[in-house]
Amino acid sequence: MASTGTAVAGGRPRALRWAPYLLISPTVLLIAVFLVYPIGSVLYYSLQHYNLTKPWANGFAGLANFREMLFEDPLFWTSLGFTAKWVVAEIGLQLVLGLALALIVNESFIGRGLARAMVFSPWAVSGVLTTGIWILLYNPTTGIVRYLGAPEAAVLGNPDTVFGALVLTELWRGVPFFAILLLAGLQGIPGELYEAAAVDGAGRTRRFLHVTLPHLRDAIVLATLLRSVWEFNNVDLIYTLTGGGPAQVTTTLPLYVAQRAIDSKDFGYGSALTTAGFVILLFCSLLYLRLSRFGADHKG
Amino acid sequence: MRSITKVCTAAVAVLALSVTAAACGSDSGGAGQESGGKTTITFWDNNGGVRTPIYQELIKRFEAANPTIKVEYVGIPIASVQQKYDTAIAGGATPDVGGVTTSYLANLTGQQALEPADDWLAKSPVNGRLLDSMLASVKATTPDGKLYMAPATSNLDVVWYQKDKLSAAGVEAPKTWDEFFTAVGKLTKAPDQYGWTIRGGAGSIFQLLAEAYAYSGVPEFFDASGKSTVNDPKNVELVGKIAALYKKDTPEADVTNDFPKMVAQFTSGKVAMMHHNLGSYNDHVKAFGADKIDAFPMPVGATGKRTIVANPVDGFAVFKNSEHKEAAWKFVEFLLSKESNSYWNQQTGQIPANKDAQGDAWLNERPYLKNAVSVLADPQTAVVSPPYYLPQFSSITKADTEPLFQKVLLGQMKPQEFLDTMAQKLTEAQAEWKQAHS
Repeated sequence: MASTGTAVAGGRPRALRWAPYLLISPTVLLIAVFLVYPIGSVLYYSLQHYNLTKPWANGFAGLANFREMLFEDPLFWTSLGFTAKWVVAEIGLQLVLGLALALIVNESFIGRGLARAMVFSPWAVSGVLTTGIWILLYNPTTGIVRYLGAPEAAVLGNPDTVFGALVLTELWRGVPFFAILLLAGLQGIPGELYEAAAVDGAGRTRRFLHVTLPHLRDAIVLATLLRSVWEFNNVDLIYTLTGGGPAQVTTTLPLYVAQRAIDSKDFGYGSALTTAGFVILLFCSLLYLRLSRFGADHKG
Repeated sequence: MRSITKVCTAAVAVLALSVTAAACGSDSGGAGQESGGKTTITFWDNNGGVRTPIYQELIKRFEAANPTIKVEYVGIPIASVQQKYDTAIAGGATPDVGGVTTSYLANLTGQQALEPADDWLAKSPVNGRLLDSMLASVKATTPDGKLYMAPATSNLDVVWYQKDKLSAAGVEAPKTWDEFFTAVGKLTKAPDQYGWTIRGGAGSIFQLLAEAYAYSGVPEFFDASGKSTVNDPKNVELVGKIAALYKKDTPEADVTNDFPKMVAQFTSGKVAMMHHNLGSYNDHVKAFGADKIDAFPMPVGATGKRTIVANPVDGFAVFKNSEHKEAAWKFVEFLLSKESNSYWNQQTGQIPANKDAQGDAWLNERPYLKNAVSVLADPQTAVVSPPYYLPQFSSITKADTEPLFQKVLLGQMKPQEFLDTMAQKLTEAQAEWKQAHS
């Protein structure tokens, strides 16, 4: 049999040898066009002085952009700090509220279909539309704040209230994502496990802690990871609601990139900032996957 | 499961990159095409929206007079026009002709994107009919002194006010800054009515500088040694006085208000007086009716000499990449003719560049506009010219310092520190520019 195999392999037409490469070439091409080239060009520009308003000074910069970012630019650190605060607040609250909603709509009750549709509907609204709605709600003259005993209070213009207002808006949009993913996870848990736990005398809390949560682990890790990256890169909501203001108190790193690259036309420095964001995200994500042992075999 | 990990890692990489994607604008544009013997030129309106119908009418007239040329109109919102031009230049997809103002002209010529119009203008019927001051203002913007943009209109800072609010409070239109601050106090009945509104969001700095120089009467943007005068003690004093009005005589939302939000606040009737320029005339007429509103020029400061900051000149430029430059210039020439220029400025309520249009009846029927033209023509008026020729001027007065003014309004920064920072940036930019062009 072995000799037959060798004969077939040796006699394989030349064209066939290329077949596997041909088959994967579309993927390789797509990765090259949409990943390798953009990443490469950002890395390239991060090492250049490339400022449209100072064309005479353009050229190779070495690590000058990174030096400026790390040692001379306080806004880099404040925007990074705000980004961290934003991601932690959003992910924590979205996880807790999303889990609560998923548990509720996982129970059987009359009108569950409608309740599920209601829970998931904000996720279907586009980002800019969401902010459009919330801008109206926060408007001092026409919005909801009039009824909260504060006429003419500009929620988005006040550094003390703007963070809460942003968090609330993003929660409205982000909680359904968690609810959907966790509900899918909940439905994959075999009912016998709950029955067995009940027979063993476990109450609701113990069943949640020892059956539900361990089974949801992968879903929770995946959902928090994806959302963390999304929230880190969140531009549409904050940009349209506050533009990073007032007085830069809501400027996240990606917004700062947009300000430096697009408003100040300093694409070299903007690329360096982008590179920093990329490295931070990649490092945190890999660390998180490692620490949570995502995808590893485990007992429920 | 391992493959899920890999997929996940790849997904993270892709998502991490979306930060790059978010930072990039889309580009759109087009080169002219020949279709059925017709030349098609693309025209970008740099303030698409309210001005779109004006151009639609003018393009209709132009195409009727020039049946071989078709004009494709693209309205770009004013807030993103610089970015659109920059991406179009980077991608080689610039229009044939576009609306441009001197505030970012230097940025475009710095990228070698525009074709000078001197030779065309010399042979054109509009030659000699355009205001010399506007032509000079355009030429002063570029280091080689060529005319990269044909001027069509200019503007003046004014304070719009609701007539009945002022008469109800027994206040006359203020002429000096002292009268102005008294009037603001009298007109405020918070939270139902505010005497004044501060532009705290996008575009805040230009208006603030117009107020500061009108107050201080400092006649130059840089002193003889090339140092910026922005942080002159009198300018600092004015910024302090304006910041003191915030939340007392102005709505709290002002700190983040850009032009549309500021105008919306004024036209909602809550604010009695608002600083903008002649260009927002149509918004006010739509909201209140032509007989209910009026405007006065910037008040006069303690020096007693009227001082104004020259507004950017708005006009049209032919792009270097165009394959139909002659047709594009023909369109520009048409827009600058007496009829078109008069029609355009009548609709927008601004000052026409064509001298022949300045005598038109509509202009003399609007007292605020007649007043504005005479302020500009008055030899006693001191005109401070901002350094539009500095490619960095726009980013210094926008991205770099707008958030700082918000800090001043919120009490997190002193007016002195704010203006010192701006002055330092301007002085540095001026020195760098001089060195690069010496």
